[in-house]
Amino acid sequence: MTFYSPVVTNAKEIAGHEKLHLFEYVEDEKQYQLKRYLEHGGYAAWKTVLGKMKPEEVIEEVKKSGLRGRGGAGFPTGMKWSFVPKDSPKVRYLLCNADESEPGTCKDRVLMERDPHVVIEGMAIGAYAIGCHLMFCYIRGEFHHSIERIEKAMEEAYSKGHLGKNIYGSGYDLEMIVHTGAGAYMCGEETGLINSIEGEKGMARIRPPFPAIEGLWECPTIVNNVESLAAVPHIINRGADWYRSMGTEKSAGTKLFSLSGHINRPGNYEVELGFSLQKLIYDANYGNGISDGKKLKAVIPGGVSTPFLTPDKVDVPLDYESLTEAGSMLGSGGVIVLHEDTCIVWTILKLIKFFRHESCGKCTPCREGTGWLEQIIQKIEDGRGGPDDLEKLDSICGNILGRTICPLGDAAVMPIQSTLKHWRDEWQYHIEHKKCLVNQNFGF
Amino acid sequence: MKEIITALGRTFIRMPIGMLVVLKHLFKKPVTLDYPRKKKPMAPRFMGRQYLERYDDGSERCVSCGLCAAACPADCIYMEPAENEKGERYAKVFEINLLRCIFCGFCEEACPEEAIFMGHHYEFSADNRDSFIWTKEDMLVKHPRKDNPFKTLFRRVRKVYGVVEKSK
Amino acid sequence: MAEAVKEKILAVATITCTIDGQQITVPKGTSVFYAARQIGIVIPAFCNHDKLKPVGACRMCYVEIEKMPKLQVSCATTATDGMVVSTNSQQVREGRKAVIEFTLINHPLDCPTCDKGGECDLQDLTFSHGYDDSRFGFNKMRFIEEEKRDTFDDLKIGPEIVLNRNRCILCYKCVRANKEAFGEYDIGAFERGDLTEINATPGGEVSNPFSGNLVEICPVGALTNSDWRYKIRVWLTKTVPSICNFSGSGTNITFYKEDHKNFVYRVTARCNDAIDDGWLSDITRYGYQIVNSESRLKTPLIKKGGKQVKASWDQALAVIKKHMGEIKDQSGGVCIGGLISPSLDNASLYSFSKLFRTIFKSNNIDFRGDYRYLPSVTDSPFTIAASQPFSIADIEKSDVIITFGTDLIREHHNEYLKIRRAVNFFEATAYSVNPYAVKTADIAKSEMVYSPGTDELVINGICLAAIEKKLVDSSAAAKLKPKISKLSLSELTKQTGLGKEQFKELAEAISSAKKITFIVGEIVARSLERDKICAALSNLNKLFGVQDKGQLAVLSRYANSKGAQKLGLSATPYEIVKAELKKIWGEYPDCQPRNTDSMINLMKKEEIKGFITVGTNPMRLYPDRGFASEGLEHVDFLVACDMFETETTELADVVLPLCSWAEYDGDYINLEGKVQTGKQAIKPKYEAKAAFEIMELIASQSGVKLFENEQSRNEEIEQLLSLNSVLPWPDDFLEIDYDKKSSRDDYPVPLFICDDPHHSGHLTEKSPSLLNFSDSAYVELSKGMAAKIGVADGEPVRVESPVGKIVVPAKISRVLNSDVAIIPRNFSSTQTTSLLMRKKRVDSVKLTRVEE
Repeated sequence: MTFYSPVVTNAKEIAGHEKLHLFEYVEDEKQYQLKRYLEHGGYAAWKTVLGKMKPEEVIEEVKKSGLRGRGGAGFPTGMKWSFVPKDSPKVRYLLCNADESEPGTCKDRVLMERDPHVVIEGMAIGAYAIGCHLMFCYIRGEFHHSIERIEKAMEEAYSKGHLGKNIYGSGYDLEMIVHTGAGAYMCGEETGLINSIEGEKGMARIRPPFPAIEGLWECPTIVNNVESLAAVPHIINRGADWYRSMGTEKSAGTKLFSLSGHINRPGNYEVELGFSLQKLIYDANYGNGISDGKKLKAVIPGGVSTPFLTPDKVDVPLDYESLTEAGSMLGSGGVIVLHEDTCIVWTILKLIKFFRHESCGKCTPCREGTGWLEQIIQKIEDGRGGPDDLEKLDSICGNILGRTICPLGDAAVMPIQSTLKHWRDEWQYHIEHKKCLVNQNFGF
Repeated sequence: MKEIITALGRTFIRMPIGMLVVLKHLFKKPVTLDYPRKKKPMAPRFMGRQYLERYDDGSERCVSCGLCAAACPADCIYMEPAENEKGERYAKVFEINLLRCIFCGFCEEACPEEAIFMGHHYEFSADNRDSFIWTKEDMLVKHPRKDNPFKTLFRRVRKVYGVVEKSK
Repeated sequence: MAEAVKEKILAVATITCTIDGQQITVPKGTSVFYAARQIGIVIPAFCNHDKLKPVGACRMCYVEIEKMPKLQVSCATTATDGMVVSTNSQQVREGRKAVIEFTLINHPLDCPTCDKGGECDLQDLTFSHGYDDSRFGFNKMRFIEEEKRDTFDDLKIGPEIVLNRNRCILCYKCVRANKEAFGEYDIGAFERGDLTEINATPGGEVSNPFSGNLVEICPVGALTNSDWRYKIRVWLTKTVPSICNFSGSGTNITFYKEDHKNFVYRVTARCNDAIDDGWLSDITRYGYQIVNSESRLKTPLIKKGGKQVKASWDQALAVIKKHMGEIKDQSGGVCIGGLISPSLDNASLYSFSKLFRTIFKSNNIDFRGDYRYLPSVTDSPFTIAASQPFSIADIEKSDVIITFGTDLIREHHNEYLKIRRAVNFFEATAYSVNPYAVKTADIAKSEMVYSPGTDELVINGICLAAIEKKLVDSSAAAKLKPKISKLSLSELTKQTGLGKEQFKELAEAISSAKKITFIVGEIVARSLERDKICAALSNLNKLFGVQDKGQLAVLSRYANSKGAQKLGLSATPYEIVKAELKKIWGEYPDCQPRNTDSMINLMKKEEIKGFITVGTNPMRLYPDRGFASEGLEHVDFLVACDMFETETTELADVVLPLCSWAEYDGDYINLEGKVQTGKQAIKPKYEAKAAFEIMELIASQSGVKLFENEQSRNEEIEQLLSLNSVLPWPDDFLEIDYDKKSSRDDYPVPLFICDDPHHSGHLTEKSPSLLNFSDSAYVELSKGMAAKIGVADGEPVRVESPVGKIVVPAKISRVLNSDVAIIPRNFSSTQTTSLLMRKKRVDSVKLTRVEE
């Protein structure tokens, strides 16, 4: 049996390490099968929750643990769950956001392919906490193998009574549906995902009203990332204090980072929050340094929606607060490393092409602005830039930032603004000399 | 004796000196033009009777947008738009009442299609009022004029704000 | 929207906020946009619409709110207590400029050829809030069809709608209105990002009965009307307020007209929240074209030697004087009958009534030329039910809405939209109870289809179910039960085809409703047993106390039916109206009153020798063509006044041209009883005259002046309208007989003749735009029925009844699910009413496939 996603993990280093848990059994070939999962202590948390805990207690436990959303926003999960109105007569829904489309991020895929049952268990506990009896797992359509594995895991869970009616005799019913996407970055955004499941175009909705009050079919809905939900069974099993003991004070727990770019050992790594980014890039157990022995030019710490970091800021702890102080964001944890022979303008062109293609087209600044930005940056890259182009870029970015319905507009604009601030001389060189400052471009 | 000398001087000295000016002008070219056999060329920006232009390929420029009628201070332009075979908008009826027109040139300034211009024609007297309603057939030029002063400017403008197809 | 929100939410919960330095108190839940509008500050916006949910797509309505760092969109932000809003600060102005800049970068320079120029939101807002030059510099996005690589990229996406995707600014108003307000899905947004385009659904076209509204709400010239295309610039027209003449709601419209050509160019909405919310059905929007039609009657016609020749008014009136005088002298005025259209205005109706009753001294008049076997009793249950008060605005306030015996999409378009709004925005529940599945049941919680001809049994069933479940007062139940228990509940379920649970569901809904609207429509009004059905409704009303907590009424169909009832136009007017007329005129004829059926009968027997029709076409619309034609062909002297040449005018001895409603001032009373004025838009075309003028001319031929002057006529009408003409329901419960339904096996399919959703009456056939939607008759069948006969969509079907036969193409309906046939009656090319027999409760036909 071959692994479907041949992604290097640091599982071997952490096997037995009592703190790191998400990747504990990920190198085990048969972990995705229910039998092996049960041998490793699976579904014990689900049994505990159904048998002994009330929904409010579950929410309290998760709140105490300090688990924050791992999809990019970093909103405390327990607090999100507590927003669901308790007295509303409407049906509740829990949606698992497995539409991992952020470039640079490939961590959810590993969990879904190799350890799907922990995801299902986490979803089940979350559903119980908010009083939901039907939960959806929205997987991106391109992830064929993940969809296969999750569906198979779901069938196994149904057949052995971990999902379905009257689970473990507790009287609680829980159904699950796996829904596949069809290729839109926007459906990874909360309201876009809800619209997509409803059958409409995957466009954003204005908030308020927030999905926790009025979401899927106007019922209270909670949308959580795969990684956040996968951590929940471990929290229930080992306690909130154990989770809190890892990471920093405000950012508790561990996170999966997908290291890619000009690095010697690209792959997925599970580290405690607060781990140094420099260590992640240079340490032999992790990134093992820049490929081809070159020098570092820039790091994108949280998937392409986050501002770039200059080399002097690389020695920063990887947690939500420190990165915000350094001028960037933790985001989804897709760390992309660029060495000194990368042309910044060429990189930004690749990013803005992606955002223009994926913009949903509802609000005017993002829809027209990303198209305009792409045309200007293409012009600069082709050597036809004019002297007032940088000013125009600044002005357009300023007109998009904060003026859109969903954060895709900000995500498109923040990397551009950060490069205009730190590498303005390179942009200027492109315009004046009509060619790249660095030696060559190359393909990733 | 004195009177004879004064009279002789007036006749043969002063009068020829006076006549000199007349004689000088006798052999000069007269300023008066031999109108109507010879006509004085008008200044390039002279505002005479209007004419409607065409594109290089022969199609009419006027799309009957109504801006010249709206700009006209004398309210002398009347038009009816219609759709031609290609689905484009054109002027089915375009009339200017030259009796009302004050030849100010606002219509030429207002036209967004560079279709109407003030020409150099000023000889259109007639003996009944009806013939002063100039129709589109009277005003439309037969061939696109090559000496249109704004044509080059328009071409430059179109190159910048041109049209391109959406790529599928 | 602000008003409706105000009334729905308790008046107690309000908040106070400050906008631009002014304090204002608004109900809780109002958005900042509408709060600002209440103090007169108009925040610019493209995608905001009063009647649709806010979507925040255009980003034009930015405001700056204290304590929020980013600019907020006011349409989506709810005003909270103590909020300080500034709508015109430097940051807001810069933000608006930026949004206009973004909107214009891909917008083509089409203003000279765009029909929207002069009334375009983008033009106005760019002028007031935008930059005056552009720094874009690239090529604009263009949507082009491969086949037509021309300059103009206009696509025809419907019979009357032209789309230009380049101009669309993606405010999504058309898509949202189509889905939320009309419940149709034929227009949508496709692709993503800046390649997004609005288009009709693939393989379809935008042809729903409300499609004209999409053009009106489009803020730019992306969606334009085919009938306004390249006609005239809007600033050269003048506007005149008027009322729609094709439906009973009295929708408020505006005519756009030009005086020099005496031409009406178009009709748009004049938003009246109490009646129409600013939405017009397509009939209202395109029906005005009959006014401009070239085929209108230009001069009076007189029949000489079997042919109709043109004549002048004097000649025509002389002929009328001669013949009518002869008839009156020889046989008396009772041998003259008249029929008038209920779409004419108050003055015309009243003049007609006065002419007949004071000059001809006959009671042979009626205004309902397309109903069979109307009662001759003034207080029959149907007449009582039709006189009940109704308020369209109250539909929004109701929490249970029941529509019984009505296909709203064919008869009462605006009421359907109001019910949709009540269900979508105000959480009402709707139930649809009809003899066939209707389109308008898509917002109903449950739709109940009963077997045709069992309408009163359904009502009985609801009452019995309520009595069984003890939902009503037991003494009333005890009184009612013996009168309706000829059949028990289980036998009723067998007869009607509805289940016991459905009866119980309805009974529960009615009894537990806080405010209820019970609408009864044309299927009941046209039925032979309308009195029985309304007697059953009277029982229902009394049992549940429906009118104490809501409204129950039979809605009137035509533009001034209520006016006709109030002014005494039927052969047997209300007693109170009769008394008043006697007072005004000093006399009232005491001859036998005869309604349409009796008149046609007597015409056949040659006891009525003279007949005047004004604005109606009984040959086409009376539900038994054979019967009507026997009468009308036999009558000695027929005078027909109409706008066009119709089947009735062909038989007439004198034809007089009539004005349309746009050519004179008129008052119309809608189905709520509200009086509204439609002003004169253009001068009467050709030699047409208004109906009241014609009546006065005919009267003056006899040497009598109908009215002293216009003012005295209006005063007399005022006197009549000030009466309270709501008839009281009977005090006791009424006994409902049960007669066994007979069915002829050789004619098994029940037939319903009604209007096409895009047509109304006999006049809309002359409007070219409406003919683009549907131009000939068809028979609408369910999929199962079509499969049974073996026809596909569009193939000819022979429809036979005991008295007639026609051949029409089949149309497979998306909603019908039972074995019924529906045929529209509006087309002169097909004599649909020849299939009907006026004494039958349920018309039935036989359908066979036509072999080639």
